[in-house]
Order: sequence, then C-alpha cells, then structure tokens
Amino acid sequence: MPSTRLDFENVRRRFGRLSVLQGVSGSVLPGGALLVTGPNGSGKSTLLRCLAGILSPDGGRIDYREGEQDLGVAERRLRIGYVAPDLAFYSELTVAENLNFFARLRRVSPAWGFEILDRLALPTDRMVGALSSGMRQRLRWAWALLHRPRLLLLDEPFQNLDAPGEEGTRALLAEHLGEGPGGLAVIANPASLEIDRVTARLDLGR
Amino acid sequence: MSLPVSTWAAEALAVFAKEWRCELRTQVALSTLGLFAVTTLVVASVSLGPLGVAKAQGSALLPVLLWLILLFSIAAGLPRAFVQEEESQTATALRLSATPSALFCGKLLYSLTLVAALEALITPIYVTIMNLKVESPGLLVLALTAGGYGLAAGSTLVAAIIAQARSKGTLFSVLSFPILLPLLILVIELTRNAVLGDPAGMALAQLLLYDASVSIFGLMLFPVVWNP
Repeated sequence: MPSTRLDFENVRRRFGRLSVLQGVSGSVLPGGALLVTGPNGSGKSTLLRCLAGILSPDGGRIDYREGEQDLGVAERRLRIGYVAPDLAFYSELTVAENLNFFARLRRVSPAWGFEILDRLALPTDRMVGALSSGMRQRLRWAWALLHRPRLLLLDEPFQNLDAPGEEGTRALLAEHLGEGPGGLAVIANPASLEIDRVTARLDLGR
Repeated sequence: MSLPVSTWAAEALAVFAKEWRCELRTQVALSTLGLFAVTTLVVASVSLGPLGVAKAQGSALLPVLLWLILLFSIAAGLPRAFVQEEESQTATALRLSATPSALFCGKLLYSLTLVAALEALITPIYVTIMNLKVESPGLLVLALTAGGYGLAAGSTLVAAIIAQARSKGTLFSVLSFPILLPLLILVIELTRNAVLGDPAGMALAQLLLYDASVSIFGLMLFPVVWNP
C-alpha cells in the first residue's frame, strides 16, 4: 500500500438549496494526477476547497495519508499546495516580502520559492498590487510549492499564463509528479488538459 | 498540532511584523484611529474643557469620557484585523499556512501595540487639556495597560468572529457590547481610583482576571471561528 495517498468518497456539499457536489468519489496515488473536468458551476472548485480543508463537506469522507500518518483536516490544510483563481496575496508587499512571510509561517527556507520565481521569470521586487493576472498566477505556483508539498490541488492551474508561463508551470508539475517518492495532484479545469501522468479522470458535467 | 514554542513564537512574530509593514504602507488603521481620537478629543475639550466641569464632577465624569474616546477610536480601526484578510482574499493563503493560535497571537500583538500607541498619544493630551489632576499616576498607567490589553484582546476576538459574516459593522457592535462592557466598567472604576488617589481595590484583580479570561477564550475559540 503506497505511503502517500488521497481518497475521498461520497463527498457532498450544498450551498443553501443548491446541491453542488452530490456524492463525488476518487483517489490519487503517488506519481499520479486526478483530472477533474466539468462546466462552470459543476463543483470543481468546491471539491478542491473541500479537499484542501478550507470548506467543510456536508457529508462523505476525505482521507489523506502521508507516510505512516493519517492527517486530520487541520494538518492536511498546512501540508498541501493549493493554486486557485481566488487565492490572493498582500498587495502592499512585494513578491519577495510575500514569499518570505509565508516561508516564515511554514517554517521553511524561502530559497526554493525564489528559485521557482526565477524559473518563472517573475520579478521579486515588484509590489503584488502591480502584478498582472498572469504574474499573480506564477506567484500562486511559487507559493503552493514553497514547502515542497506531496499533494498539489490545482484549480485552473494554467489560467492567464502566457506560453512561457504555461511551459514553466507544466515543467514544475511534471517534476512534482516524477521526483523522488512522487507527489500527487488533483487538477480541476473546465476542459480536458493534456498532462502526462493523469491516472484518473472525474467528469462533474451534468 | 503541537509546535515547539520557538517556532510558534516565530510564526506569531511574522504575523505581527507583516501587519505593521502593511499598516505603515497603507496607514488605514493609524489614520482612522488617530483622526477619530483627535476629533472626539477636540469635541470633548471644547464642550467640557477645564472651565466646563467642576473638580468634583470632573473626577467622576472625565475617566468615563477618556475610555469612551479610546473605545470608539479602537472600534473604528481594529475590526479590520481579520475583515481585511477576508475582503482582500488573503485569508485563504493564511488559513493554509499559519497555525491558528500563532496567527491570533500575532494579530493580538499588533492590536495591542496599536492601542498602546493610541493611549500614549491621547492620554497626556486629554489629561492636560481637561486639567485632570491624577493623584496616582502609577495606577493610571496600570489601568491603561490592563484596560488597553483587554480592549485589544476583546476587539481582536470579535474581529475574528465577524470576519466571515455579512453585516460586519452591526455584528461588531452587537458582539462587542457583552464582551467589552465588563471591561469598561472595571477600567473606568480603576481610572477613577487613580484620579482620586484611592487604592486599586478589587477592580484591578478583576480586570487582570478579565484579560486572562479573554486571552484564553480567544485562543480556544479562534481555531473554530477561523477555519470552516
């Protein structure tokens, strides 16, 4: 049995009368990615927020295991890497200041984060408030990978990126899934994506 | 999740440093608190100035007025501690990075320094223009310290509770009332004792107990209200 894995079963979530997730199940193993597709409003982002632990599901089970440990929601929240369109950083601080701040919170060296920024050609001295949407997306990637998480949750991960940006982030994803014991990822996107190592697909379209 | 104290403290200090760095660049809370405090101070001094209140009435009335000025100035600025994180959508990154108790303490430390700065600015001016003779300055400093801490802790806790609500302003007033009312009663009594030169009495012990209770309650409650 692999030491790291994510399993979720019969996850349900409602917003008032609107049932967004109606019993969704899936699992991901090291070195693999689960691709979640579906039109707008089908619950892709909601599923990822539930898996990240920033939204409570109304029912169902989410199990995330790293090594010998079954991680509870509070620990899972701090271990995962998360990229999403609504993820924002402090606009009054520079890119470097933001990265240093979150590295201190996560008790890791910011060096790897700065290396990612360098690879993605994002200037570190620019105020976050002055970044374009594509540049913000690059910062989200650096922030998500800063603490070298085993599980990456990616919601529309290539949104707003230009060709070099998409190439750079795809390379980071390939490294994440291929390196060492192998990371795992859940990727949500409206349309299907050509990504190596996609081991399972989940279509939330109705 | 238990952390060594040093890493937990480093997290709290990182939050504290970030808060001040953002504040010094935007100056939203500083200008809100400062302007509100100066405006109310001017209104109070013009209406009740040194000639407007007899000495006997002054010792009863002026401590109340001082704490009302401090309370409403703080209420105008401090609720933003967590509301700003939700409105600017930085709360998600914080939730996924920070230990809740360290985050709460970092925010509390920031609120505390803001309240201390406000008290240091307002109190000497207030005492001077109101011609308020304080018989026990040491007790006044103690009242300001313990009362300021209680205001900062209570406001930070309420700010955390309301951060995800819709009617934040109304909710802040509604929740602050039961939480801050005991504090205000105690701290006004203590300030009055300082003005008159009376001993601190039970008010100081009760105020310290209040501060400890709000801190412990805040640390226990915060992870529940902060995370889903």
